[in-house]
Amino acid sequence: MVEKRSVSRVIFNIFNYGFMFLFSFICLIPIWHVAMASISDPRLLMASKGVLLKPLGEITWDGYAMVLTNKSIITGYVNTLFYVLATTIIMALGTLVAGFLLSRPNFKLKGPLGIGIMFTMMFSGGLIPSYMVVRGLGMTNTRWAMLIPGVLNAFYIMMMKSAFEQLPGSYEESAKLDGAGPLTILFRILVPLLKATIAVIVMFNVIQQWNSWFNASIYLTKTREYWPLQLFMREILINNDASKMATNLDAEKASSFVGNLVKYCVTMVGTLPLLCAYPFAQKYFVTGVQMGGVKG
Amino acid sequence: MNEVQMEKKIRKGMTWRKDIHVNWRLYLLAIPIIVYFVVFNYAPMAGLVMAFQDFKPTKGIFGSQWVGLQNFVRFFSSPNAFTVIRNTFVISALGLFIGYPMSIGFALLINEIRLKWFKKTVQTISYMPYFITTIVICGLIIDFCSSSGIITNLLVKLGWMERQNMLTNPDYFWAINLISDEWQGLGYSSIVFIAAITNVSGELNEAAAIDGANRLQRVWHITLPGIKPMIVSMLILKCGMLMTVGFDKILNLYNPSIYSTADVISTYVQRVGINGGEFGYSTAVGMFNSVVNTALLLIANHLSAKYAEQSLF
Repeated sequence: MVEKRSVSRVIFNIFNYGFMFLFSFICLIPIWHVAMASISDPRLLMASKGVLLKPLGEITWDGYAMVLTNKSIITGYVNTLFYVLATTIIMALGTLVAGFLLSRPNFKLKGPLGIGIMFTMMFSGGLIPSYMVVRGLGMTNTRWAMLIPGVLNAFYIMMMKSAFEQLPGSYEESAKLDGAGPLTILFRILVPLLKATIAVIVMFNVIQQWNSWFNASIYLTKTREYWPLQLFMREILINNDASKMATNLDAEKASSFVGNLVKYCVTMVGTLPLLCAYPFAQKYFVTGVQMGGVKG
Repeated sequence: MNEVQMEKKIRKGMTWRKDIHVNWRLYLLAIPIIVYFVVFNYAPMAGLVMAFQDFKPTKGIFGSQWVGLQNFVRFFSSPNAFTVIRNTFVISALGLFIGYPMSIGFALLINEIRLKWFKKTVQTISYMPYFITTIVICGLIIDFCSSSGIITNLLVKLGWMERQNMLTNPDYFWAINLISDEWQGLGYSSIVFIAAITNVSGELNEAAAIDGANRLQRVWHITLPGIKPMIVSMLILKCGMLMTVGFDKILNLYNPSIYSTADVISTYVQRVGINGGEFGYSTAVGMFNSVVNTALLLIANHLSAKYAEQSLF
């Protein structure tokens, strides 16, 4: 189709392309500023007032050297990786099994179980009673508090259920004739067919776990060694307490302006992994947002 | 009788005992799922009785004293009730009335970009802020809005305000929260609309163009009606969540000097309950919020089923 090139169209295009360019710039600039600040000369950084488009003074990697050898940051990284991995496995297994059960046509428990799970989407006991349950189970200040509460989610289960229901029944019929049990049917035959749906819920779980700090902040008050990365970052970025980072440094380096540099380096270290990964997961976003619109 | 009807009849005739006998492996698989939901979803619901108690952790639910509606009365007669309910409502309504139309508008604008590589690049960049963690976002806000931060410097230079730490001024919090939310979510939340627009018939568009309809007319008469079901159903769902504001960001940004505009129901519950140890009282406040949320969600769901012909439940 040939576009008519009217004057108003040209004007609109100039504004639209201009707007998109500006918008992209606004999306990128805060992180760019932090990236440049993280390799700037900390002395000059203290005096600078505007947005940094390039590093100030000579490029220095001191901040990163400090952050990446810091015990808290390493502990946090290892813990977060463990939580991401473990919750993904538990969540995927539970969601698959629950979705599978709810999609069995001749299963008498299907109805009550479905209603029981659906109801949790509508009503919840809220923060305090949930906290008391976790406390009552003795999970506080253990790794279990990070792995089990909230790991299963009715929305993912319902999504999995409809994915199962859309599969043609013929696959499992033939398996049933061969005498295969439900677990064999589920994991040998159905799971390979549901890779796309599983990928979506895994992606969202990874993002959520990487982001998560609140549960750790109320459940792991006495066990710093189990903290996820975000909670250590919170100490530095929100409570503005870089002193804990500085304890293993000599006095000259530990002065306040280095603390500032550390803040920017921590931000980069905690942000880069997802920023490098997300462009490759874009095809899952549409389903994900539709789900998110429901989930809020 | 067709197969489906027959199957239904067989199922109806099946007693629980028989079903367990036939499907025992499925029942076995269901046990961990049932245990999980009973412990982590239904036990907390039962725990809501704390709202009617002067709950003491040492005495437990069975030993604590019953106080009737005293916790609710205390909440509604305190000045905090008005503040936190208003703030919750305003913060989420701002997102609904300003943020939501913006994501539709952004999708429409990006759809007008004809250069493929430019469109793709802008889209990818616009999703990026969504993948920055809450803690980092809050860290950036605190840094940029501090009395020597780059945003403060810019606003002072423009002569729009006095030099100050913007996060200690209650007048700015709603704007800071809305703008940072939009910065983080605008591109990402427009994804569904961009997807919906691509599904709008191209033929209809071409026919209209041949008939002499200009761009704006085509957007108004073809594209927008084409994505209307999506707009309406998402809108209704958002209305159902009008009293839900997450505490993730606010807990990291607020401080006593801006409680008057930044404190919402969920942050209040967290502060009074977990930090303050007033479990009965904070459970009551949380329960009020849960009940309102459920009512709004059910109304929204009903409206959605009626007008948008799709529903959650």
